[in-house]
Amino acid sequence: MSRIIAQARKELTQLVRDRRALVLALAVPVAQLFIMTSGISLSVNDLPIVVQDLDRSAASERLVDAFRSSITFHVVSWPDARQPEEALMAGAARAALVIPEHLGRDLARGRATPVQLLVDGSDANTAQLVSGYAQQVTRAYDSAEHGGGAGQVLAAVRLWFNPGRSSTRFYGPGIFVLVLSIFPALLASLAMSRETGQKTILQVYVSNISAHEFLLGKIAAFVVVAIAEGLLLAVVLRADFGVSLAGEPTAFLAGTALYLFCVVTFGTLIGAAIPEQAAAMQVVALFGYLLVFLLGGLIFPIENIPIPLRWVSNAVWGRYYIEIVRDAFLRGGGWAAVWPQIAAIAGIGGVFYTLAWSRLRRMQLAV
Amino acid sequence: MAATFRGVSFDRLRALARKEFIQIRRDPRLAMTILVQPIVASLLIGFALNATVSQVRLGVADGSRTAESRDLVSALGESESFHLVGGYASSALLGTALGRGDLDAGVLIPVDFARDLERGRRPTVQVILNATNANTAAIAQGYAETILEDYNRRRRLDGAPAAPASGFAPAHSGSVQLQPAFLYNPGLVTSWFIVTGVFGLLMVLDTSIVASATMLRERETGTLEQLLMSPAGTTEIVLAKFAPLFALMCVMIVTVTAVLRLAFHVPFQGSLGLVWASAALCILCGIGIGTVIATFSRTAQQALLTAFFVNPSLVTLSGVLTPIEAMPRWLQPVTVISPITHFVTIARTALLKGGGLAELWPHVAALAVLTLVLLTLSVWRFRKQMA
Repeated sequence: MSRIIAQARKELTQLVRDRRALVLALAVPVAQLFIMTSGISLSVNDLPIVVQDLDRSAASERLVDAFRSSITFHVVSWPDARQPEEALMAGAARAALVIPEHLGRDLARGRATPVQLLVDGSDANTAQLVSGYAQQVTRAYDSAEHGGGAGQVLAAVRLWFNPGRSSTRFYGPGIFVLVLSIFPALLASLAMSRETGQKTILQVYVSNISAHEFLLGKIAAFVVVAIAEGLLLAVVLRADFGVSLAGEPTAFLAGTALYLFCVVTFGTLIGAAIPEQAAAMQVVALFGYLLVFLLGGLIFPIENIPIPLRWVSNAVWGRYYIEIVRDAFLRGGGWAAVWPQIAAIAGIGGVFYTLAWSRLRRMQLAV
Repeated sequence: MAATFRGVSFDRLRALARKEFIQIRRDPRLAMTILVQPIVASLLIGFALNATVSQVRLGVADGSRTAESRDLVSALGESESFHLVGGYASSALLGTALGRGDLDAGVLIPVDFARDLERGRRPTVQVILNATNANTAAIAQGYAETILEDYNRRRRLDGAPAAPASGFAPAHSGSVQLQPAFLYNPGLVTSWFIVTGVFGLLMVLDTSIVASATMLRERETGTLEQLLMSPAGTTEIVLAKFAPLFALMCVMIVTVTAVLRLAFHVPFQGSLGLVWASAALCILCGIGIGTVIATFSRTAQQALLTAFFVNPSLVTLSGVLTPIEAMPRWLQPVTVISPITHFVTIARTALLKGGGLAELWPHVAALAVLTLVLLTLSVWRFRKQMA
């Protein structure tokens, strides 16, 4: 035990000595969480739209007003002489509403009147949102105009768990996971590969420390750093984005401890396997960043990933932690909801530790 | 500037450039970074990141249990957008299933649904959405409302419930019928948006990583001093260092273009020349960013940590994966400092919409200015370091 603590203290001393790296290790994750949580969102709430009113009747003006007063659209002025498509081409608007002549007359005569909405489809997701929002606006317009028909079914939409439809509440916890997946692993792998690269590992081999003690000491040191990072991140999430824990936290804390162990062990394993720092870093980046980002369900749902890739996502440790963190921050389901995820992380962490230990257990140079 | 160019000898330049080429050729990982990695990355990102909302898991608590309510349920179940998981006996059970995460959406049909309809009242159906993911919830809400609208339209038309039919029924009298037409991408293929973004991302980030790695290696192995002792001037060293890298990275432009065309069938409506020229500017920006990072850091560890901060932030601020308009107001103006922002606008407008220089000149100009600034900065830093 005392040897584990000694090893951990040595790691921390080494880290603290490089002041700039220490600042980067603590400040960079926070800055990144802030920028990414602020920046990542798929829900556009301020859509520029061009309206061409060829009718100019009282009814058409009211329709234009309905769009003007909606929160999601803002009407940009566009000369009638120019084609509305040009506004989409120039990127001045996301959609163009073309109100035909005689709209007012046709509506008064009780005819169904088509109104064309040209949507910029180059961003398919936003295009879908635009057409959905526009339909909501015209539906509201219709029922305001003639009160809707009798015997019609109305929909009352309830948004659970996130009534304000805030994106930060969804992406914030995901980015918390992304940042915690990469930086602790990076620091651990750099420290370990430096040990092998500069041959200081030989001193470890000749000392009386065992492979378990050596590994646990190293891992403990970087888990401490990771906990410091995690606390800072949680404070930022709470202070700047109002995301805080819902429900009882023991499941989340247990999951976090296991996840940080898993991530740091992964970094140590890669560092032990690859003595060159830059190469070790690239491997950690590939797994930590790309896989968590792509296959962890961070921005886009895992269900949309094509089948063979979705199988791969079952082995991505960050994926389980994202589910734990989202549950803890948004739903508060506790142990009952997330115990399989916690077990999965413990399993993957155990595999990493066994691999790292079997690499080092002989405490000798590989021949 | 003219004075510094006076001493440039083309023989020396050629010799230095050859040395760089040999170094690059000896490093198999670099070739991987330039050839294999862009292909794998664009394929992986293009296929894995997909915002399409389909097969929303839907649960129904049908309190009415009548022909009318079953008609509505089957209309929901038959739609491609929803996947009917099952029926729930009560709203409480439906609520627990939503809380557990078994469902994405729930529909509650009231007990007096059919009676209200018969009497000409307007019954309210509750649509409960798990809004944890705000984007999915917004799109699912649109789907549900459209299906209800169709259901209403059918009732108005028949006066009685009919078998759920797809396709358009004529709207009831005196209403506005919104007809959305999706220009440039009628099939709403989501990958086109993503892969055009990834194009820009790869150009800038890959180049910056390679550039900073070659710089750092030269310094750590101490060969930078040897270069300084040679008769070559700083301008020659800088030029010879960047030119081969630039040439190699241009290979990447062609590879990624091929992936876009062959794997994702991105339509090439506009000028490919314009896109390639902008991509070349992006590579120069990448060289600039990489050099600046390398010259500002003392150790590889510092450079790597800095790169890990700069690169994801650049990606976030560039509208590569998510639209810039979705960012908060204060953040939107910041995006103009990222070269990737301008490149993705150029690539999307030119490739998908068929736009040309007439629409895109502000972005091309901004990209050129950024390139100039970054290159000047990097040459200045490089010289300072060698002095």
